[in-house]
Amino acid sequence: MAAVAAEQKKVVVHFRSTGNAPQLKQSKFKIGGNEKFLKIIDFLRRQIHQDTVFLYVNSAFSPNPDELIIDLYNNFGIDGQLVVNYASSMAWG
Amino acid sequence: MGGSSIGEGTLSLGDFVASAKALIEKWKVIDVEDSLPDWQWKPCGKTGVPSEEEGYLALEGVYRNPGGRHAQSSSESVHIYDYHVVYSFSYKVPVLYFQGHQAGGQLLTLDEIKEDLPSHSLKLLGESKWTFITREEHPHFSRPWFTLHPCGTSDCMKLLLEGVENKDQHVQYLPAWLSVVGQAVGLKIPLELYEMHHVSWKPGNN
Repeated sequence: MAAVAAEQKKVVVHFRSTGNAPQLKQSKFKIGGNEKFLKIIDFLRRQIHQDTVFLYVNSAFSPNPDELIIDLYNNFGIDGQLVVNYASSMAWG
Repeated sequence: MGGSSIGEGTLSLGDFVASAKALIEKWKVIDVEDSLPDWQWKPCGKTGVPSEEEGYLALEGVYRNPGGRHAQSSSESVHIYDYHVVYSFSYKVPVLYFQGHQAGGQLLTLDEIKEDLPSHSLKLLGESKWTFITREEHPHFSRPWFTLHPCGTSDCMKLLLEGVENKDQHVQYLPAWLSVVGQAVGLKIPLELYEMHHVSWKPGNN
């Protein structure tokens, strides 16, 4: 039963750019909770047309691409949304 | 202990030791999946004098079945990994050293290690300079281990920790760092390691 609920649940993902990363015109998107975090990474890459991007959440970690979005939302979501910060990793090194 | 350097993404040796010990304790409390072993602090006095601050953090005996092959189909296909986290005095950040071996003890080559990595990790390795894997002498042994280049570590740690209160930064440094290097080497860190911290987040300016 829990699995069924997870499949149907959509999560509001709020993208926030940091540093010199390009900002999105629209910063909030609904993404299926049963998708993996990799989906968020790929989605953002397409949105900002950059392949090298560093994503992290406010609880001070960078989620593994294998994590389920619903798990991240349930544990680290605030005010009904999962805030995902992103920085362009071109500035590194 | 100086919280100021953590704001720059680096940490002092004292903060590293404190963060390591906090990680060991937290790891014991949380429900670690896939029967990952416990982290251990390995004292390692180079000078021969036992010292609280000389040593490294170790996660040894992590079992992996490479390439999604059928689990437990053959003991020969099992890969066993050791991960060591060593403080770098030149970069003032932790550095990951690791090696893998077969059940029989034969060390794995980089190509064999790559078989164990998910495709996104391989992609990450291909595109991130700082996560580039090289072989270097382990600082505490005279043998070469694989290591991740630390040059971008402080930049990424600065981002990860900027919303964390100063008093918590040294404790959260290693978990945050592990979330990044773990992805590069295919070591999945339990989400629970990050759970109690999120209440301390304070929104930034934007």
